Formats: sequence, C-alpha cells, structure tokens
Amino acid sequence: MDYSRQLILPQLGSSGQQKLLDSRVLVVGAGGLGCAVLPYLAAAGIGTIGLIDGDLIAASNLHRQLLYTERQIGLSKALEAEKYLKAHFPETDVQVFDQFLNQANAQLILQQFDLVIDATDEISARYLLNDTCELLGIPWVYGSIHQFQGQVSVFNYQGGPNYRDLFPTPDPAAVSCSDAGVIGTTVGLIGMLQVNEVLKIQAGFGKVLSGKILIYDLLACSQQIFDFEKKPKKRDLSERKSFPLLSFQEAVRSERMIMDVREIGEVPQISMDNYLQVPLSRLSEMAKSLDREKEISIFCQSGKRSQQAADLLHSMGFAQIQLIKGGANEFLAYLNYEKDIS
Amino acid sequence: MIKVHYFGIIAEAAACEQESISSSKIGLQSLIGDLKEKHQLDSYEFQIAVNRKIIPDPSAIQLENGDEVAFLPAFSGG
Repeated sequence: MDYSRQLILPQLGSSGQQKLLDSRVLVVGAGGLGCAVLPYLAAAGIGTIGLIDGDLIAASNLHRQLLYTERQIGLSKALEAEKYLKAHFPETDVQVFDQFLNQANAQLILQQFDLVIDATDEISARYLLNDTCELLGIPWVYGSIHQFQGQVSVFNYQGGPNYRDLFPTPDPAAVSCSDAGVIGTTVGLIGMLQVNEVLKIQAGFGKVLSGKILIYDLLACSQQIFDFEKKPKKRDLSERKSFPLLSFQEAVRSERMIMDVREIGEVPQISMDNYLQVPLSRLSEMAKSLDREKEISIFCQSGKRSQQAADLLHSMGFAQIQLIKGGANEFLAYLNYEKDIS
Repeated sequence: MIKVHYFGIIAEAAACEQESISSSKIGLQSLIGDLKEKHQLDSYEFQIAVNRKIIPDPSAIQLENGDEVAFLPAFSGG
C-alpha cells in the first residue's frame, strides 16, 4: 500500500505509520458502525484487524452497511466483511470470529488485541466490553447513536475513566437502531470519529477523547464535549479519615477559623470572631478561594454535616481540619455562658 | 435564566431539545426533581452535566444564573 500522502503529515510520519502497521485492533460488530470503521482502519494501515459478529446480513441493513450487497443477504456479516477487506486491502491481516461476543469468549478474544472498537448496538454488550477491557488493561473506543445524534468516547485509556464511570447503571429504556430508526450518514460520521481516535491512540498524536464524551447532533450540525471523571472506589467506612475533635473552649481559644457548614438562615445564628459560614451545598465551590494550609474547625447542627464537610475539604487537599464536638445550640449556650462570666 | 438541554431518548420523552428555566438560583437536585416530574422521566437512566461537566452528586450543587444543565442518557444504537 502506498501511504505517501499521509506520511507527509508531520503528526504521523514514518514512525507513526510503523506504529499503525504494528497495531492489532478488534472491531466488535460488523453492522452500521462496523461497516464504516473497517475500510478506514485497513486503508490507514492498521496491520491486524480482528472482527467479531455472529449476525447475518438482512435486506434492511443495506442502506447503511455498505460493505454488503443484495446477493449476500442471509450470509455471515463477519465472513462477508472479511472477503471485502481481503479483496481491497490484501496486505492487512484479518482475523475473523463468526460468533457473537459473550461472557464465555470475551476475554479469550480481546486479549489478542491492543485496542477494541465498539461497533455493537446494545447496552449490555458495552458493559461486557468495558469490564473485559478493564480486566485486560486495554483501551476501547466507544461509539453509539440515537437517530441523528451520536456519542464517542475513549475508555480505560492510560488508567483513565471507563464506561461505568460515565454510565454506572444500565438504562432499561435504551432502544436499538431497529426500534429508534437510523440513516447511514449518522453511523458513517460516528464511525469516522472512532477510527480517528484509534489512529491518534496507536500512532501517538493529537488529544485523545479520554475523560470526555463527544455528542454530535447531525440535525443541528453541532457538537458538545462533556468532561467526566473516574469514580472513586467505594470507601470502606472503617478506612474513613478521622479528624481531631475539639471542645468549644479549645476551638474558641485556638483562634482557628470556625467554619459553620449549616445552610444560610438556619437557627440559632452564631456571631463571634474568626467565624465563617460556608453552607455544605456550596462548600466545594467556596473552598477554592481558601488557603489549604489554613487551620479550620468545623461545626454544624448535629455533627453529621461537619463530618461530610471535613471529608470534602480533606479530599481537596486541606491539611489542618478539626471537628468541634457538639452542635450549634450547645455552641451558642457555651458562648452565652462565656459572655456571662466575663 | 438556566438553560436545560436534553439528548437522545430524553429529548424524545420531553418532546423538546432545550428549554429555559427562569429562576436564577436553584439547587440542582430540586431542578432535576421538577423536570423529572414535568416530563415523566422516572423510568429513564441519565447523567447530569452542568456547564459541560458531568456531576456525580447533584445534591451539593447550587445553580447560578447562566448555567447550562444537560440530561445525558447512554445511546445504544450502532
């Protein structure tokens, strides 16, 4: 294959091209997205392409699955796609699995590849892909569509977030193309964005869509990118950070900042030196302007929100946090008592 | 004014892709509750983004005038 025109691209060059030639990429599904990505992966020079699908070609597929013709209706998608790739890209090593991906074969098949492209059309397959890729430590390029909209993201890339971080709970209301409707341009465009991510990852150029989900709307010709993060592993309560406890007297005399994390308007109201009210609902935002080395003693109405606030501040890097024993009513009583005796 | 965007099957259920909410200060959790009730979204799974950042815990977020909220379901077709 003559790659001279793409070799001119400074982002790729001959070293990037060699990385593509050395790559092993698995395409899961040979339907709408699969038919879009397969020829472009092979044409760009991905050396080994795996393909898994157990489905048969149907007449209703042909308007968007352009690798197949009417004469192939009823035949295996995986085997017919393999014929297409071998005829057009004889230098590509094509490895075909004429079966559906399932719990029993996923690990065995995926472990033979560096990267996986999701070209499936159901949510449960994506959870299986996600969990298997996480187990094997390989990235996968997600693509899915709903009518004229498509989503693209890269999961499990260099320790980045995965599908479960984005969508922790399967949606029982999710619908497939056969129910929601689909036109070829939508799968074509989303498939191109997926291949583009594969080339960037494998050759090492550009910015990878990790920790971001791109949503393209073909009706409005608009795209939006949303950021998301890896979810912290559920914390064992026994591992919860414990903070030093102060009495009212210790807190007042230490001249530390006294932080009230109750919401505005909660009674009793407290007024004293070094006092700052930062409602828990706004703490993450307001704490950004505070010095992380500042000594802070926290109280609320009963103690519950103080603990949450302390956990949050601790996770933001505040090092000097203490909790005040007792709630706001007792605190006020203590302050009045101090005033009376002085 | 707070702008709300709906995507995928949520836009179908809400029968619109975006709407503006006139209140300038509202908790994210209560806005979600109001819109779930208004558009009958209880049976759907979706994520919420504010200003293009997905929010894992909406209960601690207070919206401000000009914020953009998005309802994001997983798509499933391919």
